[in-house]
Amino acid sequence: MPNGPTLFQFEHVTQKFTLPQGDVTVLRDIHFEAKEGEFIAIVGPSGAGKSTMLRLINGLLKPTEGRILYKGQPLKDINLEAAMVFQNFALLPWLTVAQNVELGLEARGVEPHARRKKAAFYIDKVGLDGYEEAYPRELSGGMKQRVGLARALAVEPEVLLMDEPFSALDALTSINLRDELIDIWSDRDIPVNTVVMVTHMIEEAIELADRVLVLSSRPGHIAGDLKIELPRPRDKRDRQFTEYVDRIFSLIA
Amino acid sequence: MDHPDGANSNSNTSGAQPPASTAEAHGLPQIGISEILGLVELLKSKGGREDIYKLAAELKMEFGDTLTVIRGAELLGLVHTPGGDVVIEALGEKVSRSRINDRKKIICEQLKKISLFQSVTHFLHDMDEQRATRDQLLEKLAELLPNENAEQTFQTVVNWGRYAELFGYNGDSESFYLDTESGK
Repeated sequence: MPNGPTLFQFEHVTQKFTLPQGDVTVLRDIHFEAKEGEFIAIVGPSGAGKSTMLRLINGLLKPTEGRILYKGQPLKDINLEAAMVFQNFALLPWLTVAQNVELGLEARGVEPHARRKKAAFYIDKVGLDGYEEAYPRELSGGMKQRVGLARALAVEPEVLLMDEPFSALDALTSINLRDELIDIWSDRDIPVNTVVMVTHMIEEAIELADRVLVLSSRPGHIAGDLKIELPRPRDKRDRQFTEYVDRIFSLIA
Repeated sequence: MDHPDGANSNSNTSGAQPPASTAEAHGLPQIGISEILGLVELLKSKGGREDIYKLAAELKMEFGDTLTVIRGAELLGLVHTPGGDVVIEALGEKVSRSRINDRKKIICEQLKKISLFQSVTHFLHDMDEQRATRDQLLEKLAELLPNENAEQTFQTVVNWGRYAELFGYNGDSESFYLDTESGK
C-alpha cells in the first residue's frame, strides 16, 4: 500500500519549550519523510516528544529549528488536511453522537445538509449506526472512541493523526478497535489513507503500521525507522513479529 | 455484578448446559459489545481456546469481570465454556472474519433468538407507535426479570439494541422504540 508520493517531511526539526527553569529540548534533529498511503507508528517512552510530533504535523506548533514541508510547501498555519483522534476521545458531552461527528465539518464551513450526509456516512463506516442520538455519557469507551474516529474521518483529511487512541480503553476493547481500525483503513470507500499513530506500546505499533519510527527520549530523536513487512492480520505469536518487538525494544532501551 | 464470588461460579463444574439458557437464567451480563468482540478476536489469535484463569491473568482482569465478558459472548452464541476453558464457536470465527457492518447483522440475528429481546420486541409492537417511555420499559424489565436490577438490564438492552440496530433510545425524550428504519 505505501510508497506513494511524499505527503510531508520533517527537515532537521528541533523543538524546544521555554519553561521557568529554562529551555527544554523535546525533539532533536527529526528528519524523515512520509509517503501518501503509509501507516506510520511513532513509538517511544513517555517524554520522547511523540505527541509533539503530531502537533507539528497538525500545524499547532511551529518548529524551533528546521521546517516541516507539507506537499512540498512549508507548513505555516493550522493544517486543515490533518485530523486528530485523541486518547481521551474529546467529545462534547452536551452533543449527541451525530452532532459530535458533525463538529469538524461545521468548523470547516460545510453546509448543514452536506454535513448531515457526510456524518451519517462515517457513522455507518465505524459501526455506529443506531447510536446517532446517544450522548457520550451513554456510551462505553469503545463506542466513544468510534465517535472520535468518525469525527476525524468525516472531514476526509489527507492524514489521520492518532494520539494513543487505544490507551484509555480496557484490554479487550482495544483489541476490538485495533482490529476494526484496520478494517476501516483498508476500506476503499474511505479516502483517508495516510495515518500517523503515536503509541507507547511496541506490539500495537507492529500490529498496525507499515513503518515504525522509534523515538528515544530526552531529547526525543529518531533511533530507528523500520518497515514492517508482515501480511495482515498480524499474529503476535509469529516469530517475525517477536523479532520486530525485540529490535524495537533494543532501540529504545 | 451478579456473581460476587466469581471463583466458585459454574466454570469448573460442567460445560454440558445449553449455553443460552444458562446465561439467560442469570439475566443479561453488564458488558459492552466491544469487549465481547475483543474477546472473540483474542481467542481466535490464540487458536480458538484458552483456560479462563489464564485469560483473566493475561488481561489483568478480575476473574469475575472476565466471566461477565465470557457470559456475554456465550449468550450471543460466539463461544462456549467446556470445563474451565473458553472455546470459540463457528459463529465466533465468522464474526472475527466479518467486516464491521456484517458483525452488526450477525449480532442482531443472535439478539432476536434471546427470549428477553423477543419479549421486549413484542412489548414494543403492542405499544402506540411502537414506542415506550423509559419508565414503561423499566417496569416491563422488572416484570420479566424480577431478580435482576432493572436499571442495569435497561443499560444493556439499550446498548446491545443500539449496536444491532434493533432498538433505539432517545435520552432527551426518554423514548425507547423499535429501530425499523435501518436497511437490514
